[in-house]
Amino acid sequence: MLRVRFHGRGGHGVKTASRILGSAAFCTGLQVQDSPVYGAERRGAAIAAFTRIDKQVIQERGLVLDPDLILVADETLFTDPGAALLAGVEFASVVFINSARDRVLLATEYGIPCPVVTLDLSTLTTDVVGRGASFSATLGTAACALAGITDRSVVSQAVQKELESLHLTPELIAKNVNAASQVLDHLSAVSIRERPQGHTASPIHPPIHLLGPEGTPVIYAPGNSARRHTGSWRVFRPEIDLNACTRCGICFAECPDAAIHLNEKAFPVVDYDNCKGCLICETECPVHCISEQKEVRT
Amino acid sequence: MTTGLETGCALLTGNATAAWAARLADVDYVPAFPITPQTEIIESLAAWSSGGEIPARVVNLDSEHSMITAAGAAAATGCRAFTATSSQGLLYAMEALYTVAGWRVPFVLVNVSRGLAAPITLEPDHNDILAARDSGCIQIHAETCQEVLDSILMGYRIAEDPRVRLPVIVNMDGFYLSFTREPVALPDPARVRAFLPAFDPGAVAFRASRPIAQGVGALGGPLYTHFRHQAHLAARNALTVHEEVATAFELEFGRSYDVIERYQMDDAEYVLVMAGSFATKAKAAIHTLRARGRRVGLLRLRLIRPWPAEAIRRELAGRRAAAVIDQNISPGLGGILFQEVAATMISSQSRPGVMRSFVGGLGGKDISPGEFMHVVDVLENSGPDEPTEPELLYTEADWSQIHPLLVIAQTPDRHSNEEAAP
Repeated sequence: MLRVRFHGRGGHGVKTASRILGSAAFCTGLQVQDSPVYGAERRGAAIAAFTRIDKQVIQERGLVLDPDLILVADETLFTDPGAALLAGVEFASVVFINSARDRVLLATEYGIPCPVVTLDLSTLTTDVVGRGASFSATLGTAACALAGITDRSVVSQAVQKELESLHLTPELIAKNVNAASQVLDHLSAVSIRERPQGHTASPIHPPIHLLGPEGTPVIYAPGNSARRHTGSWRVFRPEIDLNACTRCGICFAECPDAAIHLNEKAFPVVDYDNCKGCLICETECPVHCISEQKEVRT
Repeated sequence: MTTGLETGCALLTGNATAAWAARLADVDYVPAFPITPQTEIIESLAAWSSGGEIPARVVNLDSEHSMITAAGAAAATGCRAFTATSSQGLLYAMEALYTVAGWRVPFVLVNVSRGLAAPITLEPDHNDILAARDSGCIQIHAETCQEVLDSILMGYRIAEDPRVRLPVIVNMDGFYLSFTREPVALPDPARVRAFLPAFDPGAVAFRASRPIAQGVGALGGPLYTHFRHQAHLAARNALTVHEEVATAFELEFGRSYDVIERYQMDDAEYVLVMAGSFATKAKAAIHTLRARGRRVGLLRLRLIRPWPAEAIRRELAGRRAAAVIDQNISPGLGGILFQEVAATMISSQSRPGVMRSFVGGLGGKDISPGEFMHVVDVLENSGPDEPTEPELLYTEADWSQIHPLLVIAQTPDRHSNEEAAP
């Protein structure tokens, strides 16, 4: 069985990427299972998706904890421990990273013990499909290529089918098929290495009753949500032109995450650690002095 | 997207499959209320309805309580009704579930299992669906997306049979089936019509020209007992009806279902008893255990109401040991289905010498291969006189995730309040 795990942020298209790989493999007559996992998050939050491929009926379900391939749509996720990009990396043959940076450097920087393959999907997708496009087609095709599904008509059909199901326009789908084709020019199948035999079973934990607070879902530390830096979810960053700002305070009042405060001169200041980039402030600003900037990280 | 009808097989999520089943069953009416992880089912049906692809009327109600009442009322007029919910939604509808079962009206409800609050979660366990076990509704628990589709089609035949006339709940696990695509054979609509003709309500249907009163009060113990017990007898009939429907289904579509599923049972000395999609994980573990020479099998419960007592007695008789792995917990008792399996076996002379209760997979927690190995180890090393306290399947790796969160929560007086479990 081939087990593939995709990591990205809501909006990157990792769920659709996992489905493109699934559809392509299914089209070649293989058994397939694909699924995403996400909680009560939104655009920009860490999301994972999984594809299992086998010749036989698949007798696994749920999260892929022992991936053969890991594909990463956004390398900034390596700094988010909650995203757990390298969980089970000891099973992986290759980690693919959407990055223009040197692959050896990336392996060293993030402590990746297996070979790293890179391709700058962000630039390719922007150039071929357009600004702000998701990586679903290019990332899904990268997975197909690495998994050895390189038949162009199979991959094109899979991209076509999955994007049609999202009701994209025929023009946009054609651009994505073109981008996918270019990914196939750059990537080829990797050899999947022999997996370590069996799982190391974690022993059973004997349950202990914890009196009161520790046994109940109560958070005593006030204001700790600020420690969850949801600023990493942001795709667009609001920027306030203080020269044009009238200090009306509407952005401060309307921010749903209390990520704008007023300084001593009553000018608004954005807390970029926690601003999720919803851009309600931009919409609400009566003098239009808040603009959106594409977020650039790393 | 291709409909799959051309090719016969498609990659579909459990939610998409449920919507397709309702479409193929040619339902008339879909009262709806959104709740994760079920919402995609009614979204699909609503899109088809508003696009004119299906004739069904989809109506958003103000709550699950109204939704179930509306489904029951529609069924009482002779409509074929379909609806779906999850978790808190099913509990909010609980009063109405008992009511429509008492009305003796047939429809199919899909429950997408999700653990109950508090604490709130999105992932599955079976406390929601098992809370409805005494309502009078028939319950079928699916393991795969294909089984979701097939159980809904079979469900209408069972519900509408004059010997049953009760609502059928088809249960699938949230995420593990609801959001997971796997190959599903979508049957040809003409063959579905042959298997499942239009609902014939017989004499029990509202007509403007022929007023009747349904679901009337029954004050006084003897009268109430009579009607409530009739629902019990009708539910028992569903065992026979299921068998007939399964035979017809196999003839039409080639897939065969029993009230229970037997997996590697022929020579099994040790049996795992489970319900739902986590049974797939048990099958993988059994595959590994068998390769090591250990004779383990799986008894998967499909029909949970009516309770398939005869089939369970037959399958567990003569085994050395059985473990019921409950994906639910009744605080103060343990696993719910263990009690029912144990009660079923108590009168059997050849019941397994050891019967043990395990609780696992709560809130979607994985049951890892190591945990299945542990269960079988316990069975092999238990004697008949040992206590049968339920054991929680929870690993040191699971526990190690909790400590950092307790630190963030800044629980007061950490470390001073520990006491050993009784």
